[in-house]
Amino acid sequence: MAIAEATPSVVAGAPPARSTRAWLRLLGIVVPAGLVVLVVLACFLGPLVLPIPRPTGGNIIDAYLPAFSPGHLLGTDPNGNDILSRILHGGRNSLMVAVAVNLIGMVIGGSFGALSAYFGGAADMLIMRVFDVFIAFPSLVLILAVAQSLGPSRINTILALSFFGVPAMARVARAATLNLAEQPFMAAAKLCGTPWWRVLFRHIAPNVAPQLLTFSILGMGLIIVIEGALSFLGLGIPPPAPSWGNMISEGQASLSATPMLVIWPSLMLFVTVLAFNLLGDALRARWSSR
Amino acid sequence: MTEAIARRPGYRSTWTQVFRSPAARLVVKRLLLAIPITLGVTILTFWVINLIPGNPAQALLGPEATPDQIRAMEIQLGLDRPAHERYLDWLGGAVTGDLGTSLVSGQAVAPQLTERLAVTGELILLALVGALALAVPVALRAAHRPNGLFDRMTTIVNVTGLSVANYVLALLLVLVFSVTLGALPAIGFVPLSESIGGNLTSLILPATALGFPLLCVYTRFLRADLVDQMQGQDYVVTAQAKGIEPWKVLVRHALRNSSFGLIALVGLNLGTLIGVTVIIEQIFALPGIGQLLLQAINARDVVVIQAVVVVFAVVTVLANLAADLLQAILDPRIRYGDR
Repeated sequence: MAIAEATPSVVAGAPPARSTRAWLRLLGIVVPAGLVVLVVLACFLGPLVLPIPRPTGGNIIDAYLPAFSPGHLLGTDPNGNDILSRILHGGRNSLMVAVAVNLIGMVIGGSFGALSAYFGGAADMLIMRVFDVFIAFPSLVLILAVAQSLGPSRINTILALSFFGVPAMARVARAATLNLAEQPFMAAAKLCGTPWWRVLFRHIAPNVAPQLLTFSILGMGLIIVIEGALSFLGLGIPPPAPSWGNMISEGQASLSATPMLVIWPSLMLFVTVLAFNLLGDALRARWSSR
Repeated sequence: MTEAIARRPGYRSTWTQVFRSPAARLVVKRLLLAIPITLGVTILTFWVINLIPGNPAQALLGPEATPDQIRAMEIQLGLDRPAHERYLDWLGGAVTGDLGTSLVSGQAVAPQLTERLAVTGELILLALVGALALAVPVALRAAHRPNGLFDRMTTIVNVTGLSVANYVLALLLVLVFSVTLGALPAIGFVPLSESIGGNLTSLILPATALGFPLLCVYTRFLRADLVDQMQGQDYVVTAQAKGIEPWKVLVRHALRNSSFGLIALVGLNLGTLIGVTVIIEQIFALPGIGQLLLQAINARDVVVIQAVVVVFAVVTVLANLAADLLQAILDPRIRYGDR
């Protein structure tokens, strides 16, 4: 947002040739998008292509190897597991959780929000008040409470985070649908007697989807951070399965002796969240200037 | 004399005027809205903690408990009664300040909470005040020359600060200031009553870890809003036409207007802030409410978990309400009902 705001939107009727500003703005989308693709490829393809050991089941004899040791590019952790391998596999977990939470949010929250705005009235009141209650919670505290009730596992992490994702998505979808309702084609659809489910899928969904998608990309960073917090506190991805959060937590114990155990996963977390945030901001600026 | 005035047609006493003003109506409306949300928050907490699959009695006693023991524990916890009855019982207690007794220590929860509230409250206050005190001058300086060198540098710092997780920042601060420089304590808390200097020293790192991302959020919002105000708002043009220096227009006119949005943002963000204290208190071993929550989670002490979650949520609702009301009181457009 902050970067994009500085550049005013292109004046209507400007020459079709791209100005330096337009190129810069395109760069603002392509660079973070490239970074996101790089992280995704590294995490999902990396372990298949590169000759790296498994993320778990290491030998304790190999514990605390320094970086650039033979066979262990970033060294090993207290259990003798390869750090690079754990970072890439941990990234898989973080990214899969974030994508799943966003999908659940988009489908369930998006439908509730859109239908709520489309029908209005008492149902709208009720649905939004219920979501208000969810949003009134300090997000991490609500997620912690749910996660502790369910117990630590990847599926439960996704479920707990959805308690935060679904209401947020519902709000965005509702606001976007309310904006749409003033468009002539919505009135036309209503006049033609189009059934509500058809209006939802053919008219609302295609128009609301870009906004939900932009929001979900901004949300990716946030969800990855909260998932990390949950795993850091021992309520997310249960060890020995790797996650950036539980790697940071394990490294915290020996912070002064082996700070790299904390720094490597922190760096990955930061770069990934930064890439998603920059991409989300750039996309939002692009959509709002239309 | 006063009776003669009071009998005049169309006269309204001062009290009537106050109660019928748009601001008062807004206050009443917000208060009425806060009640169902607060109730909803308690219901959701109760549901999340009690009704999700898994038996608290079993969890408390461990896998080796006999069915008889579990049954006895269930009766002791009141789990044999219907959920709505248990909820109403609990709510009745909570309203009178009785949040139950801890399953593990057997002590009342409420006094424990108030004791720890001071630590968490001080931490949040330090982070919040520090972030606001820095955000305003930085945003003003950045908005003074949009796209200038200072503005661009601020933007870079902001984007970085918004992408770094609090727990990563906290560990980084410990690594630099405690491990490498040895300047500040990594863990522990000195109460205010013991030593003011020691108290502040023990809270500098946690407050920074909590406050820095907040500073970035505030600076980014305020800078954007100030630039927006300065570009073509009528009152800004008027002030400029009167020959007032740009710097003064920014501080006296635009900042006043932007501050309303900032107040709303502070209220909205407070929930996130309260949540993050849990993880910050864990890292720095501060004896606050967040630490109590994590201890209760590890011990599966549902009574304490429930009490802490409800207190956190109610505080968030109240903080939002306070921000709304403060905005209504300060903003003349709301006070006189222009919008």
